[in-house]
Amino acid sequence: MTEKIVDALGEACPVPLIKAQNAIKELAVGDILILQIDHSCAMKNVPEWARKEGHNVEIEEVDDGEWEIIIEKV
Amino acid sequence: MDIKNNQYYKKWFKSAWTYVAGAILLSVLQIATFAVTGNPWGVSGVLANWGAWLYRAIGGSVDKWYYFSSEGAQATLEAGFLNHPGTMRNLGIIFGALLATLLASQFKIKKIKSKKQVVAAILGGLMMGYGARIAFGCNIGALYSGIASLSLSGWVFALFLGLGAIVGSKLLVKFFM
Repeated sequence: MTEKIVDALGEACPVPLIKAQNAIKELAVGDILILQIDHSCAMKNVPEWARKEGHNVEIEEVDDGEWEIIIEKV
Repeated sequence: MDIKNNQYYKKWFKSAWTYVAGAILLSVLQIATFAVTGNPWGVSGVLANWGAWLYRAIGGSVDKWYYFSSEGAQATLEAGFLNHPGTMRNLGIIFGALLATLLASQFKIKKIKSKKQVVAAILGGLMMGYGARIAFGCNIGALYSGIASLSLSGWVFALFLGLGAIVGSKLLVKFFM
């Protein structure tokens, strides 16, 4: 199991979502993608997409206005 | 008790409101705007006035510009920044957004990541601003208020807004990612 961190800080929609979509393609089932974001819209559209794809999603607020979306590929 | 864990704080200030709640509030408030001011809600037209006031403040003149040539537009510019209802509303949007993000304790000054991002933001802003003015409205004035007034133009605007968004995101992915 590998863990991949993708830095999407300072990026506005739809860039974080596209980065997450590209990154998850390169991962194997069971791998973890950690997407770092500071754009609150991405907190809605990234988990929405990931859950629709069937992945496990968790959101963690790491700082004021900063989140990590943790996606486990299924 | 720690306010961070208070369920009402979380519900009202921390979590994003649902799309439905937002839609209902926007509808009610735009009806109020229309009833009180006699004009439908708009945002980007005000920004053109801000530009004109700014240009005047540094010694320029927009008197000969076609866009500001009507008597109404001149009267608005003469009356000034503080006497313009749309200006107050736009300032309200900006300060309201700031207040909301502070209350949720999500305020953050974002770093600029690359020069590419700056170029994309400036180009995008110019195109959106210019487009909104030659269309006499943005997604609020032309789309939202257009459709709410049962005008066909709002739907036409929606169609081309969608096309523009598709082309814009393709360009964004191709050149700026």
